[in-house]
Amino acid sequence: MSNSSFYKPSTIALHTGYSPESDYGSRAVPIYQTTSFAFDDVSDAQSLFNVERGGHIYSRISNPTVAVLEQRLAALEGGSGAICTASGMSALYSTFTTLCSAGDHIVSSAQIYGSTATLLRHTLPRFDIQTDFIPINDAKALEAAIKPNTKLVFCESISNPGMEVSNLPEIARIANAKGIPVVVDATFSTPALCRPIEHGANIVVHSVTKWIGGHGTAIGGAIIDGGNFDWGNGRFPEMTEPFAPYHGMRFWEEFGPNCFAMKVRSEAMRDLGPAMAPQNAFLILQGVETLNLRMQKHVENTVALRDWLLEQDAVTWVNHPELESNASADVAKSLFPNGAGSMLCFGVTGGRAGGTAFVNAVQLSSHLANVGDSRTLVIHPGSTTHSRLDKDALEAAGISEDLIRVSVGLEDIKDIIGDFSKGLKAAARATS
Amino acid sequence: MRLSVNGADVFAATGGKEFDPNLPTVVFLHGSGLDHRGWALQTRWFAYHGYSVLAPDLPGHSLSGGEPCASIEVSAAWLSEFLDAADVKAAHIVGHSQGFLTALEFAKNNPDRVLSLTAIGTAAAIPVNQALIDTAKDSAAKAAHMMVNWGFGPGAHNGASAVPGMQPIAIGRAIMSRNPLAVDLQACADYQGGSDAVQALGNIPGCCILADQDKMTPIKAGLKLAEAMGVSPTIIKGFGHMLPIEAPRETLNALRAFISSVQNQAAA
Repeated sequence: MSNSSFYKPSTIALHTGYSPESDYGSRAVPIYQTTSFAFDDVSDAQSLFNVERGGHIYSRISNPTVAVLEQRLAALEGGSGAICTASGMSALYSTFTTLCSAGDHIVSSAQIYGSTATLLRHTLPRFDIQTDFIPINDAKALEAAIKPNTKLVFCESISNPGMEVSNLPEIARIANAKGIPVVVDATFSTPALCRPIEHGANIVVHSVTKWIGGHGTAIGGAIIDGGNFDWGNGRFPEMTEPFAPYHGMRFWEEFGPNCFAMKVRSEAMRDLGPAMAPQNAFLILQGVETLNLRMQKHVENTVALRDWLLEQDAVTWVNHPELESNASADVAKSLFPNGAGSMLCFGVTGGRAGGTAFVNAVQLSSHLANVGDSRTLVIHPGSTTHSRLDKDALEAAGISEDLIRVSVGLEDIKDIIGDFSKGLKAAARATS
Repeated sequence: MRLSVNGADVFAATGGKEFDPNLPTVVFLHGSGLDHRGWALQTRWFAYHGYSVLAPDLPGHSLSGGEPCASIEVSAAWLSEFLDAADVKAAHIVGHSQGFLTALEFAKNNPDRVLSLTAIGTAAAIPVNQALIDTAKDSAAKAAHMMVNWGFGPGAHNGASAVPGMQPIAIGRAIMSRNPLAVDLQACADYQGGSDAVQALGNIPGCCILADQDKMTPIKAGLKLAEAMGVSPTIIKGFGHMLPIEAPRETLNALRAFISSVQNQAAA
């Protein structure tokens, strides 16, 4: 590599974490499809196990192909380190359980992804980790919700599917002042559009299955340590007290700004085992390489489709973070100068029947439970992704019966609009 | 472990093992704005291979209280107090960048307390651009950003990390941003006694570990130091100023070889 200084995001996306000098000069990142790594000798093995030196032991803990993706994502987000996991949900589970023990408490935005809501509402309480859900941009509600046993504040950069943009600087100001880290699921924005750590977030989580991978070919998650939180503030004995499985290691003393990532690696990856497969890391790296270019096109198509939908008689409402009708529009303009992602929601005439007719009528757009593919995707969350939520939770999450969620793809915008025209005609027919 | 030095609470990493002053002790001194964490991948090896380790956070840095040392002479005097507090009579002293200036001044004044002296990524004098000092006075974070830009070599700039998934540049920046960088840089700039101190080292065994891509203390200055110390330098190629972090294994290998040989000679 040249001696140039800090690379720009497009360059990081292509190069960071891997140089072709090693591995026979392979220009592409090699896939290390192996479970384990041979030691030079007993002393070498001892050094690795005792954290006297870095390196790979077993692919459940770390793997060279996965490590390239981790280093690349950490650099793109401006973090001190990253851990990749088998899925976005395992990234969240690992994050929550690294920070919380039985008796601890989480403050979460009410507007979050359905599976995350289920994890917080139903699964973690089984382990006596309780969550209070609040309107995350309500500063007073946030202040009031933080308790002595609160271990983290959680939100999404852009909520799914409510399209609310979290006011990260304000949330971080309030939480950090009380000694609490802010964990942000930034799946909907990607580092190409918003780097939450620059706005005060302390941990960023992604489902890299979505835009970061971008091609709908591999499931994966990532946890990025912002390196900007004082874990020695007295609230986190998990970080400051001796960790018996590693000879009494104190993570904060030992690793400082990357102690959270090291704790996830040493505990969650080892004990829970949510490792990302090397093949998946390779596939996701292919997506990362073009992330910036793709996000520009995603945003361009989304804005064009949004503006077209606003003019259609069969559309009753449109929700996108940049629209004045969205309560967080000002925050979106401030945090997303290059566009607020490629998700939008809208309602059609005829409520649930109209929405169903729309989804059944579109042909180019895929009807499936994913977002962030290169292809345009549509779904009716009330009957699918968020179907496990009761009426009150649906309302709090900003989900109405007629809501159609769109993940705008990279097709020619004229073709997307043509497909949606068919859907809207079907919706109109369903109500006539 | 925590020690009281001149009334201030001081933290020193011990490499993951309890400190035992009866074992040969290796003291690691960090560079400007840094702390003990820069030595994480050297200290643990020594602590688990027959040595006792002390890697202090200098006063006012990271986990240590007290006022930061305003000059190299003050930090050298502090080192003497620190070793007294730890009940260490003599030690192998390893210094990175500014840490070596402290070690050098300490060795000049306390030759009987130095079993060996190792210079890593450093020189006998470290002139500092006034603009950098002024920036650090205004904002440690801005100065830290500049420091890690120049301080890390091409591999780290491309995201290379000895520890999977980590970003050494971001870690270095985070540590420096919170520490009294301006005081450290001023202390380096003001220190003029390095050349005389090198001449006064006498028979203290010495070692120089240098990086060919070092922009903070260019290798030319490091080679002059090695010549003045009368040692053949170990030059680690492809890395920058932050050798203990960027090239931990290579740095450790050079350190192990040197300190082990000094110990073996002493035992012979």
